[in-house]
Amino acid sequence: MSDKPVRVLLPETMASAFSKGLSRRALLGGALGLGVTATLAACSTGGGGGGGGSASGLNIYTWGEYDDPAVLKDFTSEFGPSITIDSYGSNQEMISKLVTASGTSGYDLCVPTHQYIPQMAASDLLEELDHSKLPNMKNLDAAYIDQEFDPGNTYSVPKDWGSTGYVYDTTVITRELTSWADFWDAAQNEASGKLSLLEDPGEIAYSYFLANGIDPNTTDEGHLEDYRVFITETIAPHVQAFESYPSGTIAQNGRVLAHAWNGDARQGILNNEDPARYKYVTPTEGGNLWQDNWAIVKGAPNADAAHEFINYVLDPEVSLQELIYIGYHTAVQGIEEAATEAGVELPELIFFTPEQVDKLVFAKLTDAEQTIVSIYDELTAAAGQ
Amino acid sequence: MTAVATAPPRARRRFTGSVGLLALPIAAWLVFFFIVPFGLILWYSFGEKPSLYVTHSNDVLSLARYVEALDPAFLTTFWRTTQIAIVGTALCLLIGFPIAYWMAVKLSPRARGIVLALVLVPYWTNFLVRTIGWQITLSPEGFLSDFLNGIGVLNGPLQVLYTQQAVQLGVVYNYLPLMILPLYVALERMDHRLLEASRDLGGNWWSSFWRVTIPLALPGIMSGLLLVFVPLMGDYITPSVLGGASGSMVGQMVAGQFQRAQNWALGSAMAICLMLAILLVVILFGVLFKLIGVALARFRHLGDLDRAGAIS
Amino acid sequence: MTTTVDRPTERAAETRDEPVARKHRTPLGDVVLGIWGVAGLLFLFFPVLVIVAYSFNTGRQLQSWDGFGLDSYANAFNNPTIVATIQVSLMAAAGSAVVSTILGSFAGVALARRGGRWAVWLVALLGLAMVTPEIVNAVSLLPWFVTLGADWGLSIFNLGQVRLVIAHSLFACAVVTFIVRARMAGLNESLEEAAADLGAPPVQRFWTITFPLMRPAVISGALLSFTLSLDNTVLSSFVSVAGSTPWPVYVFASLRSTLRPEIAAMSTVMLLLTLAVLALVAIVLSRASRKTGDGSGLAQTLAGG
Repeated sequence: MSDKPVRVLLPETMASAFSKGLSRRALLGGALGLGVTATLAACSTGGGGGGGGSASGLNIYTWGEYDDPAVLKDFTSEFGPSITIDSYGSNQEMISKLVTASGTSGYDLCVPTHQYIPQMAASDLLEELDHSKLPNMKNLDAAYIDQEFDPGNTYSVPKDWGSTGYVYDTTVITRELTSWADFWDAAQNEASGKLSLLEDPGEIAYSYFLANGIDPNTTDEGHLEDYRVFITETIAPHVQAFESYPSGTIAQNGRVLAHAWNGDARQGILNNEDPARYKYVTPTEGGNLWQDNWAIVKGAPNADAAHEFINYVLDPEVSLQELIYIGYHTAVQGIEEAATEAGVELPELIFFTPEQVDKLVFAKLTDAEQTIVSIYDELTAAAGQ
Repeated sequence: MTAVATAPPRARRRFTGSVGLLALPIAAWLVFFFIVPFGLILWYSFGEKPSLYVTHSNDVLSLARYVEALDPAFLTTFWRTTQIAIVGTALCLLIGFPIAYWMAVKLSPRARGIVLALVLVPYWTNFLVRTIGWQITLSPEGFLSDFLNGIGVLNGPLQVLYTQQAVQLGVVYNYLPLMILPLYVALERMDHRLLEASRDLGGNWWSSFWRVTIPLALPGIMSGLLLVFVPLMGDYITPSVLGGASGSMVGQMVAGQFQRAQNWALGSAMAICLMLAILLVVILFGVLFKLIGVALARFRHLGDLDRAGAIS
Repeated sequence: MTTTVDRPTERAAETRDEPVARKHRTPLGDVVLGIWGVAGLLFLFFPVLVIVAYSFNTGRQLQSWDGFGLDSYANAFNNPTIVATIQVSLMAAAGSAVVSTILGSFAGVALARRGGRWAVWLVALLGLAMVTPEIVNAVSLLPWFVTLGADWGLSIFNLGQVRLVIAHSLFACAVVTFIVRARMAGLNESLEEAAADLGAPPVQRFWTITFPLMRPAVISGALLSFTLSLDNTVLSSFVSVAGSTPWPVYVFASLRSTLRPEIAAMSTVMLLLTLAVLALVAIVLSRASRKTGDGSGLAQTLAGG
């Protein structure tokens, strides 16, 4: 090397780096290779391993921490199919994946929010349900079935519903926050730099519109532009993270103010050493009322198991178990009474008062969707400065 | 090559002729799975996103997506990424060079092997898992924060996680071994007698470092810079784990267009811009490398002449 | 370990000149350098040690320390998803290593033995494959796989494993090519030509002469491809299909919801296995070199000589 004339061929430079430097690493790297092969052997003999990708498995694409692991385990031991869960942080992310894969995603079940179902069905992303395989649908509360977004529940079965609010650290924000207006105010003051927003473009827009007395389903260009300016210029510098599941961070006192879904907020508060430290707010202006629904993905490799699973979780007892874990109303008849009887923790974060429910707005998918998504992209770029 | 003369020409030609064909499979493989897909996104980048659930359409061809890709939001992220990449690469060099020098020059051959292994061991723990190790460490409620508060260095929780500094630390950490390795290889192969010779000729440590060590290590430095800079520009894991909202990099923006916005046309245009920027840097490095080489050779030559003059 | 084999002349020269060198060097500088080096090593090890320590966390979340225990290890091995992702990763790594090694070895031999105009193009192509950021590869491969699998009906490209192997092999086969080329360029062709003179057919010549010569480079290339594949997160997260989620993608996804101590436990297990096999390889190598005397050549090749 020392007396080699300096020449420019870059690939050669890299080649020499790789051949000389990395091949040492490779020798040692071989260690890993052999080592892990040994694990493979160990796992396949001792661990009783799960079948990755076998047709007998059930692949669920859902929101994070959205099912009680015990329920999944019980289903597998009762019916056989082992369950693999993948999670997403927004409907856009899930739909992107399904659209991109065009029927080859390998997922059996997904959990879209109500407003996305009509277009997903129209875009041929969902399989029609076979109601004869879902006898437990009779357990559902009539209020949540046969709705406008999916007449006759052709494509979807309610999984649960909830709302969007926020949690704040009462040791830092000592005043009482009650509304979305308070949220955006605290975001720029006490919570500056310690604020997280949901990774969901629609949710952020909703919270702004509600705070300003604008119809959250607005498509008015002036409103959208005001929102764009507000969020990318006024709010962006204060955002610390975009997080759909702030529960983990809240449990560790990692955030002062976090935009959150009620069930996730509840998990965070319950896991905190001092549950009284964080407070969840159902904003007075109202909020987004969302309903998440089980749906079978077009081209599902294991549609039978998917039906079986939906039917399984509609069983009142299983449903209660799910509710206790995730903290969302599961739309099953009498679930509130059953949960109260079971002594569920923080019920006020699961069951809303009629006054609160009155103010919740059912989100719609509007023409503004694309604009709202691109404003979100701008926000993520602007937040970094 | 002396064998060439003794080998019968025909046999040799036949042998090497068929050897050339061995390169066909890899060429076909790379063309089919690397060039064609790349061509595909190049094609997409001239298209548009026609409606909500359609990812791309090439009915109307235009450069509008490039204009969109170069809008201020993307450009600021792009500049930030470049900034993180340049600072990160420079820090890797500054931190890595003394380590590589120590390993290659100061250690005994036996210790060298052990230390080399030690440098590499962390590298086989998954990249992502190591980054999570930093996330735990930098967490405001983490042990480091408690410790710093305990010894009175800090008053209040550690505020590093989810900042650009955290990303900077993360990338320096993650790419440091890629800098140390080529530097070590170059330094280790250096003929140590040259250093001694330089000193015997009256050079002090500083001048022999600049005039002997650095020129000899130059190929290693250049490989190291490239090996660190190129993957760093496209990094997507480190900012996702450590950056939160404030450390977002180009890789995440490109991914966002495919994973969230379903705008393949725009995402493709962004990816092409990123690729072009990296190629530009690689070419610049090549030119720089040549220039430095030439300059050093001339400088050394002049220096020798000077010295010769002084001695006589 | 591999580096202990070195050119003897250089080594001799260095030891001989040692006293002269000492005179000029400031020992303080050496001390500072030594401290810097050790600090650097500690820096590199630090997050790994953190992960190992936190793998004993009995809490529900990895980041918040609860208590000390081995629960996470039991949970990791009893979690079918985790075990399945590890299996997927290992299989993809093995597949990618096989593909990259075959392609790369052939190309390496071709480049070392016969240049020409195509060689420049091939090197450029390989160089390009190496400098392309993973994210660009990822976003271009995904639509391509979908085109092949869904639009053109080649259903093999709908299989997660196939996609992973292909995606991981792109970078790795370029690396293998350069390693093999470096090895072959250092060996002269006289043996192969002698065999040709004696009338050995090309296939036989390859297996009896060429392959044994290139074997060390092939082995190191294969091992490197294996590890590169195991580490890959970005490409995998784009191209993988439900049911064939590899380990890093699983970890990346849990990062968004809840990181559990099981992840640290499984990572620790993998690290320990690495270290064990590392020691094994070192022993085997040093024994081989003692027995045959030829082993030094092998070690040297692995070390890049």
